[in-house]
Amino acid sequence: MMRPHARLLLGLCAGLFFLPSAFAAQPSSADLPQRWVSAGGALTEWVVALGGESKLVGVDTTSLHPDSLKALPKIGYQRQLSAEGILSLRPNILVGTEEMGPPPVLSQLRTAGVQVEVLSAEPDLPTLKSNLQQLGKLLGSEDKASQLIASYDQQLDDQHRWVEQAQQHQSAPGVLLLVGNGGSKPMVAGVGTAGDWLIKQAGGRNLATHTGYKVFSVEAMAGLNPQVLVVADRELAGPAALQALPRCRPCSNRTRCWLRPRLAAKADCWIWTRPCWWVV
Amino acid sequence: MRVFLQPRPLFIILSVLCFLAFWLSLALGPVSLPLVDTLRAAIRLTGIPIQGDNLEQAELIVGQIRLPRTLLGLAVGAVLALSGVAMQGLFRNPLADPGLVGVSSGAALGAALAIVGGSFFGGLPDAFEPYLLSLCAGIGGLAVAAMVYRLGRHNGQTSVATMLLAGIALTALASSTIGLFTYLADDATLRTLTFWNLGSLNGASYVRLWPLLLVCVVIICWLPRRAKALNALLLGESEARHLGVEVESLKRELIFCTALGVGAAVAAAGMIGFIGLIVPHLVRLLAGPDHRVLLPASALAGASLLLFADLFARLVLAPAELPIGIVTAFLGAPFFLYLLVRGRS
Repeated sequence: MMRPHARLLLGLCAGLFFLPSAFAAQPSSADLPQRWVSAGGALTEWVVALGGESKLVGVDTTSLHPDSLKALPKIGYQRQLSAEGILSLRPNILVGTEEMGPPPVLSQLRTAGVQVEVLSAEPDLPTLKSNLQQLGKLLGSEDKASQLIASYDQQLDDQHRWVEQAQQHQSAPGVLLLVGNGGSKPMVAGVGTAGDWLIKQAGGRNLATHTGYKVFSVEAMAGLNPQVLVVADRELAGPAALQALPRCRPCSNRTRCWLRPRLAAKADCWIWTRPCWWVV
Repeated sequence: MRVFLQPRPLFIILSVLCFLAFWLSLALGPVSLPLVDTLRAAIRLTGIPIQGDNLEQAELIVGQIRLPRTLLGLAVGAVLALSGVAMQGLFRNPLADPGLVGVSSGAALGAALAIVGGSFFGGLPDAFEPYLLSLCAGIGGLAVAAMVYRLGRHNGQTSVATMLLAGIALTALASSTIGLFTYLADDATLRTLTFWNLGSLNGASYVRLWPLLLVCVVIICWLPRRAKALNALLLGESEARHLGVEVESLKRELIFCTALGVGAAVAAAGMIGFIGLIVPHLVRLLAGPDHRVLLPASALAGASLLLFADLFARLVLAPAELPIGIVTAFLGAPFFLYLLVRGRS
C-alpha cells in the first residue's frame, strides 16, 4: 500500500508545478514509437503533459489522471503485468519505472519486439528531469520537455526565495506528513520519501527520522510534538479528512497543537486518487 | 460411500478434461489468434517445419508465453493435488492439506527472506537473481517440513498427532516471522511480497520450469506406487503394520514427497491455495476413497482445475489479470459445496 503514496507525492509535486502550462500538442515524427503503454501514474501524467495522450493505447491501474485515461484498457498493476495482455494492445513501447515487473514478463515483451523503457522512480529532482528529457525524446517533444523543466526550476526558485524570506523572521516549523486512507491509521512520511522532499521545499522540518512510510502510535506522534500536520487522504477530502483524525486517534485532542487549525490551505491536485491537502 | 463413477469412465472424463484444458490454455489468451495459427505454431514447436505467413507472432505467443505457462499450471496442479491426497491419507484427517506439515509456510518464509533480505543486502549478481527466490522458497519448505518430522519422532516412532501440532505451531511461527519481514520491508518489496503470496502462473519461463517438471514427474511416478499402503493406512496405523506395511518408511516417503513437491510448486508459482485441500475430496466424492484411483485421478483433476482457473484469471480482466489464488477457490468451492450437499442427500 505504500509505494503508490510515494508516487502520489512525486506526482503531486509535479502536478502542482506543471499543469497550467502543459496542454499543447506536439508534432511527432513517423519513426518514433506510435503505440504507447504506460505503467506508473506519475509517468503517465508526464506522457500526457508532453502531448502524448493520443499515442497511449493502455495504462496500468495507477494511471488515473487525467480522467480521460479511464477510458483506456487497463493492463493491471504495474508490478503484476501480463505479457500477453500487453501484447494484445500491439504496443511499440512500454514505459514504466523500475517498479515495473515481474522481470520475466519484461523479457518476454522484449523478445516480442516491444521497446521496454525502464525509468528511475527515485523521488528527487535530477531523476525527474532526466525522466522528462527521456520521455520528451521518445515522444518527439524535446522542446516541450526542456520548457517544462525550465518552468519547474523557475517555480522551485520562487519557492526557495519565499522560504528564505519567511525564515528570516520565523524558524522552520516541525512538520509531520500523514498519508491516510479513509481516516484509518495514517502513515507518517519518513526520510527519503517524496513527502519528506515536499516538506523541505515548503520550508518545513520533517520530524520523522525513519525511512519510508510507517504507522505511528499516538504517543510517538505526540512525542514528536509537530507544529504543523499535513494530511493527505486518499478517500476523504477537506474537513472530512480532518474529522477522521481525532476519530482514529482518541487522545489526540490533548496534545499541544493537534487539530487546532492554524492555516487551512487546500490544493486540489490531479494525481492518483485526487487527495486533498490540508495544512492544520 | 456411494460411488458416482467407475474408475474407467472417470479416467476417460478426466483425461479429456485435462486435454481440453491444455488445448484451451494454448489456444486462448488476451491476444486473439486464429485457431489454425495456434495449431500450426504448436506443430512447429514440436519440430515439424511447416510453412505459413505471419507465424512468428503466433509461435512466439504460443511457444514462449502460453506453453511454459500451461506446463507450469499442469505440474503445479498435479503436484498440489497429489500432495493433498498424501497428507490426507497420512494424517487420516479430511482437513489436512499440503500446508499442514509446514511446507507452504516454510516456503513463504524462504521467499520473504529472499525478497526482503535480497533488497536489504543490495541484491545478488544478475545470474542468480531469477533463482534466488525459488531456491529460498524450496529450501524453506523442506527445512520446515524436516523440522516438523523431527519433532514428531520419538523413540523411533513418528507420532502423527505430534507432527500435526508441531506443523501448526511452526506455521504460526513462520507467519509471524513473515509479518515481521512485512513490517521491515520497504514499499517496493512489500508489494512483491503481497503478490507473491497470492500466487500466479504469470511470467512462466522454461528456465524456471525444468526443476519443477522434474520433481513433478518423480512424484507422479512415485506416489501412486504407495496407493495400496495408503489404503491400508486408512484402517489405522497398527492395522496397516499388521497388514505388512512399513509404516515408518511410508510416513517418511510421504512427507518427503510432499515437502519436495509443494516446495517446488510454491517456489515456481507462489502460494496457490485450495487445490491441495479440495481436489482430493472432490475426487473422493466422485469415485470413492480407493487410493489406487484417487491418486492418479487427483493429479488429473488438480491439473485441469488449475489450468481452467488460470484461463479464467487471464481472460476475465484482460489485458490485466487476476492472481490465480483468488480464482481457484472461486471456481472450485461452489462445485465442491454442490457435491457435498448431493452426497449427503
